[in-house]
Amino acid sequence: MIKMNFRQDSCLPEKVIVPYMRKVLKFLGSMQFALILLLVLAVACAFGSFITQGQTLTWYMTSYGERAASAIMLFGLDDVFHSAWFVVITAFLCLNLIFCNVSRAPGLIRLWKTGFVPEKREKTCGRIYGNTEEDPAKLFSDMGFRKTASGSYEDGTGYRYAVKNKAGIWGAWLCHLGIMILIIGFSVGQMLKTETSVYGVPGQSKRIGDTNYVLSIDQFRIDLRDDETVDQYTTDFTVRNVSNADEMSGTTSVNHPASMFGMKFYQNSTGWAATMHVSKGGEEIQNGVVCVGEVTPIAEVPGLSIIIQAFYPDFFMEAGGEIGTKSSELNNPYYLYIAYYNDRVIGMNALGASEYITIDDLTVWFTDPQTYTLIQITTEPLAKLALAGGIVIMLGLILAFYVQPAEMWARKKDGVWMVTGTSRKGGVLFDRALREKMMQAEIPVHEESSEIPAGESDEAGIRVTENEDVKSLKDDAAPEAQNAGKDAEAH
Amino acid sequence: MGNEVFLSAENILFTVAMIGYFISMILFFVFLAMKNEKAGSFAAYLLSACFGVHTVALVVRTIGAGRLPLTNNYEFATSFAWGIALVSLIFIFRYQFKALGAFSVPVIFLVIGYAAMQNKEVRELMPALRSSWLFFHVSTAIIAYGGFGVSFAVSLMFLLRERMNSSEFWNKHIPDREWLDMVSYRAASLGLLFLTFTIITGSIWAERAWGSYWSWDPKETWSLVTWLIYMFYLHLRIRRGWKGRGAAIFAVVGFICVIFTYIGVNTFLPGVHSYA
Repeated sequence: MIKMNFRQDSCLPEKVIVPYMRKVLKFLGSMQFALILLLVLAVACAFGSFITQGQTLTWYMTSYGERAASAIMLFGLDDVFHSAWFVVITAFLCLNLIFCNVSRAPGLIRLWKTGFVPEKREKTCGRIYGNTEEDPAKLFSDMGFRKTASGSYEDGTGYRYAVKNKAGIWGAWLCHLGIMILIIGFSVGQMLKTETSVYGVPGQSKRIGDTNYVLSIDQFRIDLRDDETVDQYTTDFTVRNVSNADEMSGTTSVNHPASMFGMKFYQNSTGWAATMHVSKGGEEIQNGVVCVGEVTPIAEVPGLSIIIQAFYPDFFMEAGGEIGTKSSELNNPYYLYIAYYNDRVIGMNALGASEYITIDDLTVWFTDPQTYTLIQITTEPLAKLALAGGIVIMLGLILAFYVQPAEMWARKKDGVWMVTGTSRKGGVLFDRALREKMMQAEIPVHEESSEIPAGESDEAGIRVTENEDVKSLKDDAAPEAQNAGKDAEAH
Repeated sequence: MGNEVFLSAENILFTVAMIGYFISMILFFVFLAMKNEKAGSFAAYLLSACFGVHTVALVVRTIGAGRLPLTNNYEFATSFAWGIALVSLIFIFRYQFKALGAFSVPVIFLVIGYAAMQNKEVRELMPALRSSWLFFHVSTAIIAYGGFGVSFAVSLMFLLRERMNSSEFWNKHIPDREWLDMVSYRAASLGLLFLTFTIITGSIWAERAWGSYWSWDPKETWSLVTWLIYMFYLHLRIRRGWKGRGAAIFAVVGFICVIFTYIGVNTFLPGVHSYA
């Protein structure tokens, strides 16, 4: 057995592997990787929407051709959103967000605690400058800064400083956190989610999946409008725990699910059902409610089953043999049935209300057509976590887009205030607003690119701050202040 | 169905708004092509007036239909056009940016023209659509699409600005590219914020109506694709070397996704959203 010792062995692992791992970790949390993942996810989603999902190889061969069908099956494009590679990409996105947020958090905390102070702004200031003998506090106020701090530096020069929307620095970070919470909540939620359904007509009781609960359908209503369109589907039902006889009743309708025993009950769909009777030698040996599409075995003859393939409440048949229903009223009910024996079709026909089928010595007929209700029952433990993630994303976006940190700073030298302001995210729009406010206040405006001759007066006759003074503010930008600025805007 | 008098009035108002948007578009073209300031000012005021008429048309349809006009192809298309007009006007007047009209009003006209081709009949809502979440879900989508429409228009201006000379007229009405980039970003971020709200409210509604927050329905999937593309755009903007042209191209790609999500999905990829 070969034992590797990174510390004592040659310098290779220490000097090569560690920096290499560091590079990998850095890449995993980088914006470059995030951009790749966003684009790949977008393309994968587009594929998933263009290729019909969840079909068989035969279906794809018929629809797209043999080669394309093979490629679809090979790359898991028949179930993109549940494929291993899609899950891996999403997991990488999560990793990217985690690495990014963890690496940015210290910088943001530092920025939040110590980044917004006049000493820092002295070193990184904006692109718009103005010089005035008036106190700039009013200009600050006009720019929407409520509080202005005053003080003086060690060299005795006075300053005015104001900051607003500090909370905005957390926007992107919160947005990332929200996406992480949403992805984790949704993914784990999908794994823990249970989903089943119960269908039947009033009076029927059925077990809910493999739980200890039994659902009884008490009543099912279809509310129709005057034009016979459906207004609402409503089911009254009762759920009973068979182990301890706990019982609760509820009502579910479309858009109004019911909750009980940790489960949610949705009014999912409806259809037609009828009572199927089977008799032998004049004696009824089997009867029960069957829904359209439901295969019902005939207990008397193993292997024999019957299915109502379709139901026509107001049946008609045209001369060409085309069949259908004129309305949803039960004026002329007909059942299109198929009889199977050991999975082989042995009979198929449309059966009227007073007609019956004879299979050897058995007689089968249908009565009491009525609508059944289908209730979907789910438990989704982490759904609220995913929703919380969505809310955090919204909060993050609002902070990132509309709470943009901005600062105004002024330094008094030789009786003249040099005023400037900056908002990295506000960019040119902040600069434009500042320029307008300065012009309204009749403060001569200089921009970053402007040449400001040292010691000369501008058009308004106000002494301009020395060029070196302005230049030093830009040039001496402290590394930590620059980093703080990056933190505020980085991925 | 519906109150016929109100629906007839809505039809007239809709037509007036559509013609008005067309004239406004021509005036905006004259403004830029002939460098005619008066035409530009008149176009901006006409756009405001058309937006007013369009708003009244939507209100009248709401009264006539007895519900908000947000539930079928016609209603969503006319509301979509209204959303772009609203965001355009906000940006035109907030940023003194008349030239935007020459790029956004053609989009408004195309969308309202698409609406005019749809069936205007008022139908009763299916049970799944009878939810208070409908208002939040669709109205936020309208603002989102409006934001993306304006971002698309400004990005087009950005790409064309490269080819324009720097005469006083252009400098005044289509400022430098950094400014255009920032305005496009502002519009896209408005769109992204509201699209996020649309997706979240849609998920909540889907859970109540269909029992699942997310089921990869084509409309849901393409909303997510659009969201991812605009997220890509936002990140691209802050990367060195991509701010500006690269970002502008992606804002255009993003709007193509928006249009596909709205029209393409309904046409080619039917799902549970087929009515929208």
